Amino acid sequence: MLPSDGRPPSSGGAPGDRRVSGDRRATAGWATLGSNLVGSELLGSELKVLFGRRRTWAMLLALAAVPVLIAVVVRVSSAPGTPGRGPAFLDRVTQNGLFVGVTGLVVSIPLFLPLTVSVVAGDSIAGEGGLGTLRYLLVAPAGRVRLLLVKFAAALAFCVAATLAVAVPGAIVGVVLFPVGPVTLLSGDTIDVGASVLRLLLVAGYVTVSLVGLAAVGLFISTLTDVPVGSMAATIVLTVVSEVLDALPQVSWLHPWLFSHYWFGFADLLRQPVAWGSFGGNAWLQAGYVALFAALAYGRFASKDVLS
Amino acid sequence: MTAEGHSAELAIETKGLTKRFGHQVAVNGIDLAVPRGAVFGFLGPNGSGKTTTIRVLLGLAAATSGQARVLGQEMPRSLREVLPRVGALIEGPAFYPFLSGAANLHRLDTADRDAPSRTRAARVHLALERVGLTQAAGKKVRAYSLGMKQRLGIANALLAPRELLVLDEPTNGLDPQGTREVRALVRLLAAEGTTVFVSSHLLAEVEQMCTHAAVMSAGRLVAQGTLDDLRRSGTSRVQIRTPDSAAAQRVLAGLGLMAEKSDQAATADGLVTAVLAVHTGTQEESQESRHAPKPETIVAALVAAGVRVRGFAVLGSSLEERFVALTGEGFDVAQ
Amino acid sequence: MQAESRAVGAPYEVVSPRRKVDLCFAESEADFYEASIMTRLWLRWLPAAAVPVVIAAGALGGSFQASAAEGLSTKTPEQVLAMVGMNTVKALSGTVEQTSDLGLPQLPPGVPSSSAGMASALDLLAAPHTARVYLDGTANARVQVMDQLAERDVIRHGNDVWTYNSKDNSATHETLPTARADGNNAPATTQLQTPDQLAQRMLAALDSSTAVTVGQDTSVAGRAAYELLLTPRSADSLVGSVSIAVDSQTGLTLSVAVQARGQETPAFRLAFTDLSLHAPSADLFTFTPPPGAHVTQRALPQQADRPLQGEPGRTGGNSGSAAAPHTVSGTGWDTVIGLPATAVPADLTASPLLAQAARAVDGGRLLSTSLVNVLLTNDGRVFAGSVPLARLQAAAAGR
Repeated sequence: MLPSDGRPPSSGGAPGDRRVSGDRRATAGWATLGSNLVGSELLGSELKVLFGRRRTWAMLLALAAVPVLIAVVVRVSSAPGTPGRGPAFLDRVTQNGLFVGVTGLVVSIPLFLPLTVSVVAGDSIAGEGGLGTLRYLLVAPAGRVRLLLVKFAAALAFCVAATLAVAVPGAIVGVVLFPVGPVTLLSGDTIDVGASVLRLLLVAGYVTVSLVGLAAVGLFISTLTDVPVGSMAATIVLTVVSEVLDALPQVSWLHPWLFSHYWFGFADLLRQPVAWGSFGGNAWLQAGYVALFAALAYGRFASKDVLS
Repeated sequence: MTAEGHSAELAIETKGLTKRFGHQVAVNGIDLAVPRGAVFGFLGPNGSGKTTTIRVLLGLAAATSGQARVLGQEMPRSLREVLPRVGALIEGPAFYPFLSGAANLHRLDTADRDAPSRTRAARVHLALERVGLTQAAGKKVRAYSLGMKQRLGIANALLAPRELLVLDEPTNGLDPQGTREVRALVRLLAAEGTTVFVSSHLLAEVEQMCTHAAVMSAGRLVAQGTLDDLRRSGTSRVQIRTPDSAAAQRVLAGLGLMAEKSDQAATADGLVTAVLAVHTGTQEESQESRHAPKPETIVAALVAAGVRVRGFAVLGSSLEERFVALTGEGFDVAQ
Repeated sequence: MQAESRAVGAPYEVVSPRRKVDLCFAESEADFYEASIMTRLWLRWLPAAAVPVVIAAGALGGSFQASAAEGLSTKTPEQVLAMVGMNTVKALSGTVEQTSDLGLPQLPPGVPSSSAGMASALDLLAAPHTARVYLDGTANARVQVMDQLAERDVIRHGNDVWTYNSKDNSATHETLPTARADGNNAPATTQLQTPDQLAQRMLAALDSSTAVTVGQDTSVAGRAAYELLLTPRSADSLVGSVSIAVDSQTGLTLSVAVQARGQETPAFRLAFTDLSLHAPSADLFTFTPPPGAHVTQRALPQQADRPLQGEPGRTGGNSGSAAAPHTVSGTGWDTVIGLPATAVPADLTASPLLAQAARAVDGGRLLSTSLVNVLLTNDGRVFAGSVPLARLQAAAAGR
């Protein structure tokens, strides 16, 4: 890129000043508009910080421990799991080790997964505020909208990582400890190993999508405070409230609007044929939550006085 | 806008800048004017609104009213244009404790979308070198001392060639050696043409580094100008050491000077002090001082009147005196 | 003090351009800037305000679309009834949703249903259910009741009828006699019926006690439909009306809703939410019990309608043991069925859930729903009917 085409046309800056070195000007051009404006570099840095933290790895390891624990317990206890007892799909584990991943997701979706996502999303802005790095990022300048987008993208990346941290170690441990064979779906039909891998991935995708709305809620709460522990806790509390409300038939009118409403709907992917209804419903619901809470987070963060 | 023309001379310019938090007015209608190329001391006791002003200037907080221009462009409208050209240390350094010093700088440099990634490593290295942190670059910031963090904060401000540096209490936590280094660094940067805006609650620091200064008190800007102007301004006095203080006072009165107070008037040697002139630092008003008698005239008159002059001095006002006069004395945090 | 130091300080300002600036910003302009700063900050909240509006508009638009029906040619009740009779649909796949608002005490989900048959029955009545239905010709059918993390299936393929329950991984198998294999194309042991089956059953019992009219055209599962309204002529019946949506193209019943008197929402509704008239994949109708499943071979029961063991609680009008001697009083909508104490299952009367749901009235305890009242007399008899309590008490006293 030539320095001469350097300015984005939208910037109504002062033409008078030319004291900036040519090097910097040149890179402020269209080339950077493409890559760094959307924050791909900043996102890379954000992901490096997120996944470079010991806390993140501790959470991912804790998540991975869930299916491993299940698999080991089922393997060690000689009696095959009694059908209908324990977590759903537990008895399927002995047929096809890959389903340890699904069982792990069943166990993790009500609490462990939302907990870790709440920590990451709740920490996103408030954590920077608490450290004081928020002011330095903003005067760098990271740009408030750009920073918000990068933070949300990182939270989404964590949603994926968290789901995989349950599903993949689960599948691996399952394959090691149990035979890999045809697996019975909820409808009583049996599918082969290849199809079961596909279903496992579908379930992981569904669970990831399920957490996206929560990540948006956490991001918004995170813009409200400079105390990361507070926003994490508030996000977790909201998760629990949503799940409790979803269990109360007295407010059944509210149920379809709760972000946790479809969390167990991934079972619909284990029917024959796949029932896509809850997948679509879930995706729309989560998209709605993202739209609303991203807008709220923007409203708050773009007008906020950063005093930390 | 007509503003374009003159603001090219000013690195920072505010007009009636006000920031309220609820009922409390943190910054009360200040008109700052920081000329380009200056090392500008922003003086004031803790809590006088210095940091809030800096936050507003850098777009971290929105002004309640008034206008601010930085490097000739209106803030916060041109934040994205202006901030890459501004290096800042705001209210102490802040870093990710779990990252190394170099990694911290890498991250903050990435946040600037105009910063080319190609030369990032080189720039980080250079910045660390300038503040003498090359050895500790790979160490986690958790293990840094306060002084090292302060240096790293300054390194962050120096990541790119800047036109304006805003340094909020830059020598906080530094040992005397570090303080000297920072002063030298600031002078060096100023020599390169960078405008440096240093906030401090320490007058001595400003006196040693700055060409210009402004004084904040309780959210108001109470003085502003070149350091020489500020230093020249104030009150000069004559001080006479004499056992005949009553006679001396009479002589001074005859010359139109009011003696302020005489210590130990009854005892052996007394000190008689009188205001010689009030300098305001500006040309029109310094004319007043022409009416004041010359020191030699005073001595001659004293001697003629038989006053035993054992000591005579003309005392200029110190900047510290001015500072105290403007902001109030003691350690009280300004309200 | 403040003013004083200001007075002292002001003259020291050496920066001459300031004065020009002074001219630039008049007082009123400063006010304008203050206003614009605040406005700019408030504008940032605009998207947050707009999103709920968009979502609400989307939700309303969706429901508006659902209720809008194309202009259908006007038909008499007889014509619509004839359409139902001539229903040509032989193959379909669709989703059926059953919702009810019976005014029963709400039960938290997850009440262990395997232990208490009563709870299971109440759950099936009170809780919403979704099932997928696949039909192909007269001999192939499959119904999947989709529970949370579980499923109950009934699959019919020719003369073979399988049931499968994923909760305990159990299956049953029975073979229908050839004579019965025709005619009834849905599995005989369905817990959840299709709207069409329910409507056929209701329309078969139509008599002079019911007024049949055609209501406003409606739309169910995206299909334009006629609405058949069945209104009891009896003033005593708890049933306000029954509305049956009949597909305008095929005569297939798309939904059945029972309205209780004095209740806004339907007391019971069974409706397609999704319907395709294409033949489903043939694999769906072949069922092999999965490895490890507990399979029960069942001899053909004497009574086709009798509930299967382990699957208590069925909807529809034919609950209860057909073998028990029962009394019938009243006709049509006012029918009251009485059971002698010997015919009442012990676990029903002893059920704690019943104790919770029923309230004491003259002569016994009353289990009241918006559609049906059940009187459990003190001497152990049971009277039930879609009538007010007084009619049940009269029936109990009448013996």
